Amino acid sequence: MLPATAAALAVLAALLAWPVPAWLSRARWPRRDPLVALVCWQAIGLAGGLSIIGALLVHGLAPWGHSLPEAWWHWVTRHPAEAPVRGDHWVTQTLAAVLAAELLGVLVLSWVRTARTRRRHRDLLELVVEPAAVPDARLLDHPAPVAFCIPGAKPLLVLSSGMVAELDEEQLAAVVAHERAHLREHHHLLLLPFVAWEAALPVLPAAGRAHAAVRALVEMRADDVALGSLTGAAPRRTLAQAIVVAAGGSGGAGVPDGALAVTGSALGERVARLLEPPSPLPGWVRTAALLSAVALLLVPTALLLLPAAL
Amino acid sequence: MASLGELERAVMDRLWSADGAVSATELRDGLADRGLALTTVHTVLTRLEQKGFVVHDDARPRRFRPRATREEHAAELMHEVLGAAGDRQAVLARFVGSVDADEARLLRELLAAAAGPDATPA
Repeated sequence: MLPATAAALAVLAALLAWPVPAWLSRARWPRRDPLVALVCWQAIGLAGGLSIIGALLVHGLAPWGHSLPEAWWHWVTRHPAEAPVRGDHWVTQTLAAVLAAELLGVLVLSWVRTARTRRRHRDLLELVVEPAAVPDARLLDHPAPVAFCIPGAKPLLVLSSGMVAELDEEQLAAVVAHERAHLREHHHLLLLPFVAWEAALPVLPAAGRAHAAVRALVEMRADDVALGSLTGAAPRRTLAQAIVVAAGGSGGAGVPDGALAVTGSALGERVARLLEPPSPLPGWVRTAALLSAVALLLVPTALLLLPAAL
Repeated sequence: MASLGELERAVMDRLWSADGAVSATELRDGLADRGLALTTVHTVLTRLEQKGFVVHDDARPRRFRPRATREEHAAELMHEVLGAAGDRQAVLARFVGSVDADEARLLRELLAAAAGPDATPA
């Protein structure tokens, strides 16, 4: 019967809307393997959307058939309902349509808006940047130490003259490797759904939490990839130094004032992780995490497509 | 063969350093070392106008000037791309975002405290 499916999907949606993201954003293991954690976050986002819309749709279409595909087909072909249709069926149908339209609409809107802003930034930059000594990078004449990349079909990797002046050659290579990792792995696409859904669901605290966690993980992942391509004697320390310089910390040694917990911030977490690398996740934990991500996607899909067995 | 982007930059440099408006012919002569055709200069100017960086007057021949000074352009760029108004999403990958003085100091201490993990074989 469809109502059991709807209830199961609703429970899954509730779990994915609050306890699961809260647990994952507090967990300590993601910093040990940012890539696996990013896969889990994508699965949570997708499965969450799928199960909440699915729950509403399954309940709304229950009078039309015994499985969602069947009920959907009867509904589309104006087949008469097999069971009495009540008001709540119409309400959940409408909610499902509104929610689906909002989530997808915001995703598209966010994509378009970001693409436009990027084009504008690229236009502004292209008039003033010069080729840098590093291949593929552009130099921006500005005293502040900044580096960034603008993703897209023609990615732009920009270093400020302040950054070049304050870093030595190895540190600069580390910064460039970090930015290239973002571009090569298309990290902006991993972030897009979380940006969009934070905008679509501002009332859901988990959306903001998930966005912050994914943003931090993407930076850690880029650090990890950068380390793989660095050749210096102490690449971890080199990258950590570059981060500290870019954060404006290039001045003399400060007076220790250790009361504040630096690990509370995403940047502090990044530096701490570089200086004292956590042990990598054991293979079986990695496999288990990836299998859970796959299961997270398969469960709502199966619930939606298979005829209810009960 | 110079890319269009590079030509745009060269033309903008000319316009920024010129006194008042400049005609396309003058621009071509000023960039003589590049051996540009007048049509190329016009193409570049049209692109710059579409992007909103150049405006022209109705004199004959048409004369072009930058919409903002070089300094204004730089300020606009810093504000939009890196400033508070900057869309965090568009510049995905700022290496390190803005940090306040306290956090910068803490990061420095963290670095000073660590002996360096690469020093000892892990």
